Amino acid sequence: MQLDFKARELTIKLVYYGPALSGKTTNLQAIHRLVSAEVAGRLMTLETQDDRTLFFDLLPLSLNAGKGLQVRVKLFTVPGQVIHNATRRLVLQGADGVAFIADSQRTETKSNAASFVNLRQNLTDQGIEPASMPLVIQFNKRDLPDIRTDDEIDALASRGKEPVFKAVALRGVGVLETLMGLMEITWNRLEDEHRLSEKFGLTPGPLLAEFERHLGVAEAIQRVSR
Amino acid sequence: MSEPQIDLTLADITRLEEIVDRGALGEVCRSFFDLFSLPIRVFSHDGTLLADVHETREICRYVNTLPKGRAACSGLVSEVKGIDPQDGVVVHPCFTGAVYRIVPIDYQGRRLGRFVIGPYLPAEVREVPRSLLVIDERLEAEKARAALTEMPRVREETAERLSDHLTHILDLIIFSGHRAFLTSQMHVASVRESYKVLSDKNAELQTAFDRLKELDRLKSNFLATVSHELRTPLTSIIGYSDMLATGIAGDLNEEQAEFVETIRGKGDHLLALISSLLDLGKLEQGNLPLRRELIGPRDLLEEVAKTMTPAAEKKGVQMKVQVEGALPPIAADPVRIKQVLFNLCENAVKFSPRGGDVTLGVRSVELESDGDGDGMGFVLMAAPKTALEISVSDQGPGIPSGEQQKIFDAFYQVDGSSTREHGGTGLGLSIVKRLVEAHGGQVWVDSVVGEGTTFSFTIPEGDE
Repeated sequence: MQLDFKARELTIKLVYYGPALSGKTTNLQAIHRLVSAEVAGRLMTLETQDDRTLFFDLLPLSLNAGKGLQVRVKLFTVPGQVIHNATRRLVLQGADGVAFIADSQRTETKSNAASFVNLRQNLTDQGIEPASMPLVIQFNKRDLPDIRTDDEIDALASRGKEPVFKAVALRGVGVLETLMGLMEITWNRLEDEHRLSEKFGLTPGPLLAEFERHLGVAEAIQRVSR
Repeated sequence: MSEPQIDLTLADITRLEEIVDRGALGEVCRSFFDLFSLPIRVFSHDGTLLADVHETREICRYVNTLPKGRAACSGLVSEVKGIDPQDGVVVHPCFTGAVYRIVPIDYQGRRLGRFVIGPYLPAEVREVPRSLLVIDERLEAEKARAALTEMPRVREETAERLSDHLTHILDLIIFSGHRAFLTSQMHVASVRESYKVLSDKNAELQTAFDRLKELDRLKSNFLATVSHELRTPLTSIIGYSDMLATGIAGDLNEEQAEFVETIRGKGDHLLALISSLLDLGKLEQGNLPLRRELIGPRDLLEEVAKTMTPAAEKKGVQMKVQVEGALPPIAADPVRIKQVLFNLCENAVKFSPRGGDVTLGVRSVELESDGDGDGMGFVLMAAPKTALEISVSDQGPGIPSGEQQKIFDAFYQVDGSSTREHGGTGLGLSIVKRLVEAHGGQVWVDSVVGEGTTFSFTIPEGDE
């Protein structure tokens, strides 16, 4: 998080993590498509010139929190391929919250777990206690055959700590729910740490409702489910 | 010029001038001006002027000829410069009736600067405004009116579309610049990160390598110590069995003599093995001193052949010496060179069939020098260098080509069973190789299975 008191500007960094091809970029593309144009900036894809290796994607959102406070949310994706760990570590630096995008297909269960181990390792290496990082988990690709069933995921989710979302990112289903879920736990964490409500007179509940309104979440969800 | 600063953590731009090339920005503004005849200025957020394309208008020139007019004009210009369009576009009037349009440049939710279009005359303005007429008592209304007609007229709606268009162009320029800059920063950062990972791996390898080197040294020490400790009691065993064999302790019957002879024979073999191990240990540690002196090659070979003759005759093998022409003496350690030759000759005799020949040969050869190995200055560095090439040939079974390199490894024998049949320690050739290399020479083997084998080595002339 970066706080500029003079400019009354708060910047939050959220990172979409997960194995290769689990739909991290697709999540960002869907958000870009679904939220209003005043809120979302251009989606930037950073790739190297020679081998088309992805460095990261970046989607900036800017939200007016009221009371003169401008909240900028920067959504990043990491490259999922195992070999790009150096880039992943760079992108993970300074993250305020992480959305872990898992692939629902049964065959991908192991690479989901491997990527999660890698996330924990990279956080630990940066001196961050993994359990202290605001984290939501999204099971993507719910429309594919041979996936882990809702019952299975629900049963596991009820035993885990993190909020779990189900999504079909290609169609935009569950994408904004995941984002808002992450925003909520991230903001609560920042509130605990920095007492933002005392500094700006903004309480988390109404503020998140305001963000939801700015992003046009309700309308977008309606559009998607139709 | 200051180094552009981009915080990679948030991938943010803080200053417009970090990301936009001033020259290119100037060109865009120039073409905007050429198209629409509208003056344009671009400022960064802190008010630095980044681009400025305008022509002084007739009305401005006229107003500036009047003292009060000039004061009012410069006051207004600095006022416009100081306007920060906090909540969107600001249209600021000039006393001439013209306006300035001040448009914010925002990027990723952050104010980076602003651009100012104007002054231009809104199309609605028909009359010379009162604010102009009263600016200076010396102002002539007719002149002002004439000058004002030359000012570009723009409908407010058009001005809005033009500034929107420019906003989009600037946004694209900033976006492209930002992306290119982030990409290069990421390249550098990930190279740095990869370098760090590699350095860590290298350090690990170095530690492992140092440990192995230390282990190797310990092994050599152990070998040297153990060999030495083994040799001492062995000398006594051989000495006492010698004495028994010569009958000092009383006569031996035939069976006893045979047993003692076996003890002595095996003792000798063991001693040879241990001595070789000691030599090898010393050679590996590189602390075998060479005492070089000048040796005549012909004398050397004849002496070796003579010494070998009894053992050769026992096997029905004949020793021959072949020397081509007159040869210069070589500088070598005579003890070590003889050790090399005895080793090779013993092998040759051992593998020769009854009635075969073992030939010792020597000739002078010119070594090809390749300079320093990289071909640089070859014509200068490739000075001819002579060497003596000494060879030992037999008519034995030969060595299959696949085995020819391995025979120089310690304890290697072509056929594991040959140690039992032919004796030997399996160390001879590896010692030969190391001794020759200690002299700066090379050793190699030429062999045809079923016809025989020739071992050759070179001893180069010493450097002046």
